[in-house]
Amino acid sequence: MSALLKIDNLKVAVGEKPVLNGVTLEVRVGEVHAIMGPNGSGKSTLAHVLAGRPGYTLTAGSVTFEGHDLLSRAPEERARAGVFLGFQYPVEIPGVNNVYLLKAAFNAVRKHRGLPEVDAFEFLGLVREKMKFMRMDESFLGRAVNEGFSGGEKKRNEILQMLILEPKLAILDETDSGLDIDALKIVAQGINSLRAPERSILLVTHYQRMLDYIVPDFVHVLVNGRIAKSGDRTLALDLERRGYEWVSEEAA
Amino acid sequence: MSTALATRIAEEYAAASDKLPARVVSAARRELAVKTLCAQGLPATRDENWKYANLRALERVRFAPQSVQPAEAAPATPVSGAALPAPIEGYVRQTFVDGVFASELSSAARNDAEEGSPARERGQSGDARFALLNDAFANDAARLRIAASSDRPSCVEVLFVARTEGARAASYPRLDVKVSAGARLNLIERHVSVASDANFVNAAVEIDVASGARVTHFRVQQLGARATWIDTLNATVGQNASYQQHLVHLGALSARSTFHVRLAGSRSAARLHALAAADAHQTHDACALIEHAAPHTVSEQVFRGIAAGRARVAFNGKVTVCAGAPGTDSRQSLRGLLAGPEAEIDVRPQLEIHTDDVRCSHGATAGKLDESVLFYLLSRGLDPDTAQQLLKWAFLADVVAKIDIPDLKRSIERALAGRIDVAADLKELL
Repeated sequence: MSALLKIDNLKVAVGEKPVLNGVTLEVRVGEVHAIMGPNGSGKSTLAHVLAGRPGYTLTAGSVTFEGHDLLSRAPEERARAGVFLGFQYPVEIPGVNNVYLLKAAFNAVRKHRGLPEVDAFEFLGLVREKMKFMRMDESFLGRAVNEGFSGGEKKRNEILQMLILEPKLAILDETDSGLDIDALKIVAQGINSLRAPERSILLVTHYQRMLDYIVPDFVHVLVNGRIAKSGDRTLALDLERRGYEWVSEEAA
Repeated sequence: MSTALATRIAEEYAAASDKLPARVVSAARRELAVKTLCAQGLPATRDENWKYANLRALERVRFAPQSVQPAEAAPATPVSGAALPAPIEGYVRQTFVDGVFASELSSAARNDAEEGSPARERGQSGDARFALLNDAFANDAARLRIAASSDRPSCVEVLFVARTEGARAASYPRLDVKVSAGARLNLIERHVSVASDANFVNAAVEIDVASGARVTHFRVQQLGARATWIDTLNATVGQNASYQQHLVHLGALSARSTFHVRLAGSRSAARLHALAAADAHQTHDACALIEHAAPHTVSEQVFRGIAAGRARVAFNGKVTVCAGAPGTDSRQSLRGLLAGPEAEIDVRPQLEIHTDDVRCSHGATAGKLDESVLFYLLSRGLDPDTAQQLLKWAFLADVVAKIDIPDLKRSIERALAGRIDVAADLKELL
């Protein structure tokens, strides 16, 4: 299996404050990696840096995606190349219709891949099918993006977007936060349905409970902006039992 | 006001007075207006409520309207119907060119109603100084007298066409509307330019909504790129009556609206939904006052303004709750969007309450597009231009959506799309 994402000694600061202090990680095609860690360890920063959010300063290291430099590319180029970020806090966009955004995003990705645009009728069929799978009411089609959605509905909407865009690398930033157990199951089922030999997933999470439903191939613990420990899914169970402190101590 | 300006107004009035029709405004009222103006002066940008207005055109304007000047002073260009906006289905049209009724461009006869007494004397109704200027020089008036009749509302469009360059002659649209008890009126008032894009337009609108009547008033200002537009609107709303205005500022170099609605009868309601989209060196300024003067009255002010380029957009929304107006329910939502590094936005909510038992809420924001929202769209693969256009469009969407006349809404959407560079298929955006 070849490396889809290669992060090498990545150091990132917000203003003067270092947040990532040399992250090295390789995600091969088809793998599911979980990034865990205490609050403030840099998990979300890593997710956002990969997606191209402005406001971070790269101080050292590199990231390649399919062998090409990722960090020099604009956020929309990354998205079209197949990088998807599922937001921890999806934004509300009053006045922008949910299905319009889905279609605009879908066609932007297709255009990049050299595929023709899909007409409205065909597209609606696709969206309806995926919404059913995510157990979302059809009324969400006509609503503004995330406006007035509950926390769980917003997360489901993120996964819906992911199912439609079919990214090569899905980065899911604390998708489990704020979900009750039923919503968590639906969201996990959505993510699992995208598991495929040609697709990789990076799950960023604080708790191991999501990993009961989406079993990762690798688990990494991020402490103070560095990967302090890596292992298989049993590491996540250890963390749940023992907390994060022992990893920090071991690392120090 | 500079003495020079006052002197010029008085002189121009004296020269034109015998040609200004008394059926439009009586000579006594015109003279009083000139006298008051000379005493009070016209507003200047040092006045608190006028500091965002661009009044530079006053220095160059010739105040007497075209129709009272000798033909050689301001020769009139004929206006062809093809140059005017397409008619709106279901609406009769009265067209006024430089303030004067043009029957050949109208689908309805004019109304020869008598001059209405103003709802309030000028001066009692907030800032009416430009309305006084209209009183002095108005050469015609659109008078609508709406009686309660069938089950359907009366649907009237009054189209004001500014033709002459302001330096040659000013234009004084005058609209006087009385809606009888229980009657309903849907009124479209549009202002456009032909021949010259540098008109000076000073409009005065009086609206009297009697008890139980309902008026929905769509006002669209689409004047030419160098035009100056000033208007003063006064409305009085009777018991159980409602007045709703949709105000759209798109054109002109400088546009200023002064809006004063008095909720005079109990359980009456007033709503103002305003939008402005300014670019380049445009100024769009509005000063709106809703006065709750009776119990259990309801008001709403919604404003959405975008300033791009070096434009300035200002909205000063004031709500006054008088001592005799318990049970008032008032809501304000004022938002401005800065779409250029050199643009300027000023939104100001003001609330003055003189009684207990009121429910008043207001919110005002002015800022740039939210970076986190932009990033969200980019992270879904949209290019930055499309993302910004989409967000600007969305910013105005709720005000545009309330314009429930399909033909008019489409024409406003088309004009707006040009203003904020939306190239995408608009139907999909909505």
